[in-house]
Amino acid sequence: MSSPTSTSDATGTGAALAGTGGFLGRSRRGWLLVGLGLVLALALPWFVYPPVAMDIACWALFAVALDLLLGYAGLLSFGHAAFWGGSAYVAGLAAIEWGLPFPLAALLGAVFAMALAWPVGVLSVRRSGIYFAMVTLAFAQMLFFVVNQWRGLTGGENGLQGVPAHFFGVEAVEDQAFYFYYAALPIIVAGMWFAWRVVHSPFGRVLVATRDNPARARALGYDVERYRVLVFVLSAGLAGLAGGIFAISHGFVSLQEVAWQTSGKVVLITVLGGIGTLWGGIAGAVVIVLLEDFLASSGFDGIGIITGAVFIVVVLLFRRGVWGTLSDLLGRRTGRSHAVERSISAGDGEEPTA
Amino acid sequence: MSTKRIVATAVVTAGVLALSACGNAGPGGAGSDEFTDGKLVLAVLNDQSGVYKDLSGPNSVKAVEMAVADFQERHGDDAVVEDVEVTFADHQNKPDVANTKAQELYDRESADIILDVPTSSAALAVATQAAEKEKLYFNIGAATTELTNAQCNKYTFHWAYDTYQLANATGTAVTEGGATDWQIIYPDYAFGQDMDKSFTAAIEAAGGTVGDHIATPFPNDNFSTFLTRAASAEPDVIGTMQAGGDLINLVKQYNEGGYVDQGIELAVGLMFITDIHSLGVEAFNGVNFAEAWYWNFDDENRAWADRFMEETGTRPSFAHAANYSAATQYLEAVQAEGTDDADTIVGHLEGKEIDDVFLKNGKIRAEDHRVIHDVYLARVKTADEVTEEWDYEEILATIPAEEAFKPVEDSTCSFG
Amino acid sequence: MNEILQYTLQGLAAGSFYALAALGLAIIFGVLGVVNFAHGACYMLGAVVAAVLQDLLGLNFWLALLVVPVVMFVFGVVIERLLVSRLIALDPLYNFLLTFGLTLLLVDLVKRQYGVSGLPYTRPDLLTGQITLGALRLPTYQVFVLAFSLLVCAAVWLLMTRTRIGMIVRASTEKSELTRALGVDVNRWVTPVFGFGIALAGLAGVLAAPFRAITADMGSSFIIILFAVVVIGGLGSIVGAVVAGFIVGLVEAFGQAYAPALSQIAIFVLMALVILVRPAGLFGREENA
Repeated sequence: MSSPTSTSDATGTGAALAGTGGFLGRSRRGWLLVGLGLVLALALPWFVYPPVAMDIACWALFAVALDLLLGYAGLLSFGHAAFWGGSAYVAGLAAIEWGLPFPLAALLGAVFAMALAWPVGVLSVRRSGIYFAMVTLAFAQMLFFVVNQWRGLTGGENGLQGVPAHFFGVEAVEDQAFYFYYAALPIIVAGMWFAWRVVHSPFGRVLVATRDNPARARALGYDVERYRVLVFVLSAGLAGLAGGIFAISHGFVSLQEVAWQTSGKVVLITVLGGIGTLWGGIAGAVVIVLLEDFLASSGFDGIGIITGAVFIVVVLLFRRGVWGTLSDLLGRRTGRSHAVERSISAGDGEEPTA
Repeated sequence: MSTKRIVATAVVTAGVLALSACGNAGPGGAGSDEFTDGKLVLAVLNDQSGVYKDLSGPNSVKAVEMAVADFQERHGDDAVVEDVEVTFADHQNKPDVANTKAQELYDRESADIILDVPTSSAALAVATQAAEKEKLYFNIGAATTELTNAQCNKYTFHWAYDTYQLANATGTAVTEGGATDWQIIYPDYAFGQDMDKSFTAAIEAAGGTVGDHIATPFPNDNFSTFLTRAASAEPDVIGTMQAGGDLINLVKQYNEGGYVDQGIELAVGLMFITDIHSLGVEAFNGVNFAEAWYWNFDDENRAWADRFMEETGTRPSFAHAANYSAATQYLEAVQAEGTDDADTIVGHLEGKEIDDVFLKNGKIRAEDHRVIHDVYLARVKTADEVTEEWDYEEILATIPAEEAFKPVEDSTCSFG
Repeated sequence: MNEILQYTLQGLAAGSFYALAALGLAIIFGVLGVVNFAHGACYMLGAVVAAVLQDLLGLNFWLALLVVPVVMFVFGVVIERLLVSRLIALDPLYNFLLTFGLTLLLVDLVKRQYGVSGLPYTRPDLLTGQITLGALRLPTYQVFVLAFSLLVCAAVWLLMTRTRIGMIVRASTEKSELTRALGVDVNRWVTPVFGFGIALAGLAGVLAAPFRAITADMGSSFIIILFAVVVIGGLGSIVGAVVAGFIVGLVEAFGQAYAPALSQIAIFVLMALVILVRPAGLFGREENA
């Protein structure tokens, strides 16, 4: 992890290198935006039904975790439900069996997700591009079957019911969801901050180099596979953190959490928000979770028709996603030149598979 | 630095605002009024888009609306509450969605009761919310016996059917009908495992024997291997606990394999009239299964089914009738007590004996909130026996309410 | 012994579906570099179209085997022209994502239009019942499925080896750089090849119609196993796709017979082993990894 750039000016060069769109990292403006974001996050349960607000926060962190992998290492995981769901089960069991306070239970879940991600990552990074997506999907499916079979531990199809939300002896009585949101928000924000730190660290810059031109990174002496495994594990850990909180906020864990549709949903959210923007996932989560919540009460029975169509349009026309497109517009208006449009692997330095 | 301070101030302000407003935002002052918000809200939470859409779905909402209209007509100006609303939400068979929606219905839409909720995991999630919010919940669509056993609670009632009743009806009746040598094929997850146990107990109690218990993956689209294995023991009957799409796969492959010609019958643990309707009676030729209610059983059912047909253009499934029954009995309890207070209604309903279009010899057990009633063993008619659309079932036997469900002394439920 | 033969047949019959669909997937990948996530949805559409045509026009199973692939070919051509071709110059992951979105759309459209309980399908009388060979009973339909799909695979193989189009497709699948370098215009064949691959998925769907539940969701677990199949066989290999399809069918059948709890996991364990030992797949070549 030797890098010529020191960490002190990570905000400037890091943002440019990683192409985060420059929203963050220009100190004053950046801090203002961070502040605005935090105020919005704090105000969210006042505008949105608190359990839904909690869902948005969890999915946002999940999407940020996926973007860390997809946007900065160019690796599309279609099996991230394994880490989100795997952690959900561990966190749920820890809360039920040992009565762990929920931040510790979620943390334990995240550690489990990372432990699970290590062997999966080592195997999966042997292939990149499309193969990586299919292989991770298949591994996640394996976990799904294990969870489904292991009824004694996981409750099988009935799920793990009655997961308590302990908070170091404080028991919320009324309006639990409302207070839980504020108790969980710092963990979510910390998770996002961690993702941001990773991206803007020397490690993050090497990662982007391995994405854009693996051959060159290899020639410079970087162990590309090791970097990829590492970012895979970190991403899984953050996904696990989000999944653990999600499970405890709902008070149960179900097979849905490890199903491939969940992996699909987080990819959807990330792409919609904007690949390689890191914060795009937040925008994506707001849109998708609210949309699903609205459609569930609307009597329209075809969520996939809307999300599928929106997704196709985004992939065809707005590949920078909601966040990327907005940040382009803002950047243009203030007359600032902007990071070039990137594709998943901008340099396309990956050995072609076809 | 200055921006930082601004941000910090904003954060603190927002936090203070949040806390102060919270004090006011708590649940509205209960007490003085008999009806919270001056109205009664019945919420249907079910699958409006997935596999149970036909079985319950939008038409369950219709059934509840019919119950409300009938209630208002019956009581007119004497009704204790004028404003009765019906609302609904789609849980997409996802327990996390069901969980959030249940909270939202209770809190935001001030629902006094949630009805239906198919899919066991979703049903159990909603039961947890009902207990927490101390609001009523009548489950109709889910089959898990957990609702009236380990995970029962004071506010949850299980109205229509469950795995024990399904297995018991089919297992007992088919065995007593002479098919004593069984092979069981069941999907290897909670529902299938429960069904396998209940089936085996029922068959053995009726004097039959079960050879192999063949577990299959779930979901699965290829049952040929399992059928071959089961048939190689040359049983009288193969019992299958598959449901939905998997059941259709299995029945198709059973037909394809020509096992009927070898004299091996098929008994189905869980099947709905909507399955027969979508695949046609030919696909299910001669299959035996348990039915909780059938629209063409007697004149009372038929009259109601005709009204339902006018409203929806289709015949009701047992779930539709059960939703109507549950909503009706709830409304009558409210009328009798003059309040929507959940504890009062629970007290009113416990132990009550009921006869309505759905509940024949019905009774709400006080001990575990299992609602018991007569159930049936049905056979799918052959194509030439069918005289009109939806006329698919012949009722072979009626299983009296007292024998149909798990005995109350075996329930592990305690409302403690 | 008897049972082993039966399980073998059942495994090969189940493998037929995977082999046909994987063949389509591999050909599309070879020429376009696109992994079609919607392949499972196309398999589903094949079955749905067969059922709908039977309901509307009384089209029987034998005609459906001819007509439905043509319909699906046209569908594939439209999708390629309308959507896939617009992203072809970009990272192939975009088309993977696009076809994922397409899957969501197609599945829910079918649900809305045709309901969720499944569509009825009248099976051909000729294929009902069992063939009895001594003590051995084999379901007629499975024997037919196996024979038919072997025939189709053989026909595709002849097409690949004996015709100019086929050789171009094969060359670009297995040695794309070289083919282009030699000045062969692969682009002309992109659209028909995509249609052809979709048609193969549709054909697998028609074969499934009399035998499996025809629901909007029938493709969603199918596609995941299909991915495992192509990873095992090696994406860049046409033979690999077919052989791996049959292998996975056999693993599934014997797993179901002797270790039902592990039968689904077994496929993915096999996949993990292949990645460990031969990352490019059983029939893929390392340089394509």
